[in-house]
Amino acid sequence: MRRLTALDAGTYYHHRTLYGLRFRDAFDRILYVRDLPRADLSDTDVLFVTCRTDPSVLVPNRAVFDAFLARGGTVVAMGSTGAHAWLPSVRWTDTATNFWWWKEGGSLDLHAVAPDHPFFGHVPLQDAIWHHHGFYDVPEGATSLIDVGDYGSVLYVDAVSSPGTMIVTALDPCYHHGSYFMPATTRFLDGFLPWLKAGQLVAEPAPA
Amino acid sequence: MVARCLFLKPIKGAGGDLPAVTERYRDAVEIDHYALHETDLSPFRAILLPAHLDQRYFGSITGVVEAFLDRGGRLVFNGHVAWPMLTEFAPFEPLSSFRLDDLAIHRLADHPVFEGVAAEHLTFRRGVAGFYARGHNPMPVGAVALNGVGKDRVPCDWVYARPGGGEILMHAGNDLWMYIDSDDTTGRIVPQLIAWAERDMP
Repeated sequence: MRRLTALDAGTYYHHRTLYGLRFRDAFDRILYVRDLPRADLSDTDVLFVTCRTDPSVLVPNRAVFDAFLARGGTVVAMGSTGAHAWLPSVRWTDTATNFWWWKEGGSLDLHAVAPDHPFFGHVPLQDAIWHHHGFYDVPEGATSLIDVGDYGSVLYVDAVSSPGTMIVTALDPCYHHGSYFMPATTRFLDGFLPWLKAGQLVAEPAPA
Repeated sequence: MVARCLFLKPIKGAGGDLPAVTERYRDAVEIDHYALHETDLSPFRAILLPAHLDQRYFGSITGVVEAFLDRGGRLVFNGHVAWPMLTEFAPFEPLSSFRLDDLAIHRLADHPVFEGVAAEHLTFRRGVAGFYARGHNPMPVGAVALNGVGKDRVPCDWVYARPGGGEILMHAGNDLWMYIDSDDTTGRIVPQLIAWAERDMP
């Protein structure tokens, strides 16, 4: 099992997500984000940057993230954390958020790009569909798991841009689960956290 | 005019999906989230806290906030109480279920902030219930319940005149200023909130 450290920005929704009984056992350690500059991460395999942690408290820690990746760690940048400002090779496009597609008869047009990826053994696509706030360009050699239309990715795994692994998503389940809102976001975490703990993060390359 | 309402810039991630209330009101200023404890509060009548609040930080500066209240200041709190903060606060209690009947908002007492605001317009946003409150932060003894949610009408909004001075307005949901552009009666909330927050104490 990978050892998972989650960053806590002190919001009520982080409190429910990180300390609530449903997911408490998934987190080996919970670190107050303002303590990150002084933190020893040698016990940590996966650094989980919880949804909507403000970029202003993450950007000053760029060197911490770079060093963590350099020794092979996995950084998980959840939605609305501004990962393009503090992780390498991340390119983000902000879009207006459609909160109402499900009521107006439309679709978010999220689709599984790599349906055979082990991720989907933990999280069915329908549990990843609520809304998103933009999309990412996928770096060369990285793997998008979920795309929005043909615009870009809302969840990708990048094991090539650094010695470590970056899992970057535009999805913000911790905010909504932590607000007692949108059951799909709770189901997403039901599968996503066990995948981070024990699942296969990087798919085997397809046979030539 | 001297600014009288002090807003804390929310922790809001990278999103631009929260309204910037201080761009609309010249009487309001916004400071950095972590600057509150070193800000001169003497010009201000009210501190208005975002739901996207670092409650661990806020809980560490209660001495500053209590001194402000003791001088007659007002405090507006949005969100769920999760961490120890002021002694008047108690941890959020979610509703036990979220069916439509459970999410209806009921007016329990009149208050200038909610004057002319229809409870039905608080219950439904674009026809969907559940945005306003999904539980409550329990009141201290002596507080006045303003709006209640669900069949038990638990107080999702309350106001408390502290015996030691100052007032606290509690809302157990998203920022009340999310209604800044509403075109139904909830559009009354923001101007009435600002007017209530910045008036002189009796």
